[in-house]
Amino acid sequence: MDWEVISRNLEFLLGGLVVTFQLAAIALAGGLFLGIILGLARLSSNRFFYYPATAYIHFFRSQPLILIIFWFYFFVPILFGKPMSAFIAAVIAFIAFEAAYFAEIIRGGIQSIPNGQVQAAYSTGMRYHQVMIHVVLPQALKNMVPALITQSIVLLQDTSLAYVIGLHEFLRRTSLVDNREFRSVELYLFAAGVYLVICFVLSILARRLEHKKYKRV
Amino acid sequence: MIDIQNVSLWLGKNIHVLNDISASFERGQTNVICGPSGSGKSSLLRCINRLEKFQKGNIIIDGHSVLDAATDIYKIRENIGMVFQHFNLYPHLNALNNITLAPRKVKGKPRIKAENQAMQLLERVGIKDKAYSYPAELSGGQQQRVAIARSLAMEPKIMLFDEPTSALDPEMIGEVLDVMTDLALDGMTMVVVTHEMGFARKVAQKIIFMDNGQIIEKKKTDEFFTQPEHTRTKDFLNRILSYV
Repeated sequence: MDWEVISRNLEFLLGGLVVTFQLAAIALAGGLFLGIILGLARLSSNRFFYYPATAYIHFFRSQPLILIIFWFYFFVPILFGKPMSAFIAAVIAFIAFEAAYFAEIIRGGIQSIPNGQVQAAYSTGMRYHQVMIHVVLPQALKNMVPALITQSIVLLQDTSLAYVIGLHEFLRRTSLVDNREFRSVELYLFAAGVYLVICFVLSILARRLEHKKYKRV
Repeated sequence: MIDIQNVSLWLGKNIHVLNDISASFERGQTNVICGPSGSGKSSLLRCINRLEKFQKGNIIIDGHSVLDAATDIYKIRENIGMVFQHFNLYPHLNALNNITLAPRKVKGKPRIKAENQAMQLLERVGIKDKAYSYPAELSGGQQQRVAIARSLAMEPKIMLFDEPTSALDPEMIGEVLDVMTDLALDGMTMVVVTHEMGFARKVAQKIIFMDNGQIIEKKKTDEFFTQPEHTRTKDFLNRILSYV
């Protein structure tokens, strides 16, 4: 075993981790935002919102993520007649894909809020968006924290799939180093360790947030 | 002030919740609606601020039909406070923020002004010291008083009460009824769904008895107790008053 290989390439590898985190963070924020809109549309009684949102969610949940990534990298640039950087293509693919999953989590979270809350809010003259923003979503998002963090952990691991379009994220860089140094065991053990630590920290965070929730309600 | 004209409400195709209801409630009066569970009392209340959309008839509030497309139903709801059986306080906000939310967001009141008003209302319902408590930290009676303060913060012209004491421990019913009595004496227009016949007798001008989605009896308070016309009303009164 030659663990030197890691310290020799640490800067390069950690640079990849930064890309991984950037991709995950942007995908999380964008996916959550789009997911809230899709989740609300899926609960709408207006068919012009309900059907497109439902179709979108079913479509993206039926496709392998790697295919979606290919799609945005190869087809969308043809559509617009402009090449797209691997990072931008990955960001768009992840937002589009994760939004479908977040939407279902959010729909469940909103449905868990008792109808009395909505009635009370409407009875004071609030409008739909006010009821959602000030009364329903704060409670629903709180209930959804565990599910959202689980999905975020999956998302963080899935970012490694972006290596197929040549994005230099963490796992891609690990394999690049391996091509040069032929130290697969050490390098991939290290990669596994890094993913383990990150996900472990995130799940501790999830448990903390969950406890916080039960203190009050 | 509130004119209910031949209102019928169905849930789905077959469940006839309200059947041709007509009634009118005058400004400054307290009206009690009573009757067995499932008789449509709460549904009728929800029709008044159109939380429930009825299929037939009309409800006119101060000259505005709640069904008319030209009516801004949100404006109407601002003027109608509603208090629920299960309080429905927002669990993620403390008492103060429960009260200030609607005045700030709907009326655009500045935070300081809204909070000053909320403190006055909390004082009026007797729990000023609970301003920063969350609903889960309050007793049922305290929660319901916060809920009343929350409705009053919009400075409504009408207050609707949907069995406000039914979910309370017996010891806490009094504190909520006291607040409601004060409101009534201050001249608030109130429609109260309740089985508290003592409250009805003392405060209400008019009592409506409902059964099976219909109004069976509609009388001035003293006549309601002393000379009910229908046997169904007599039965109900006998049963409910036998332990008073």
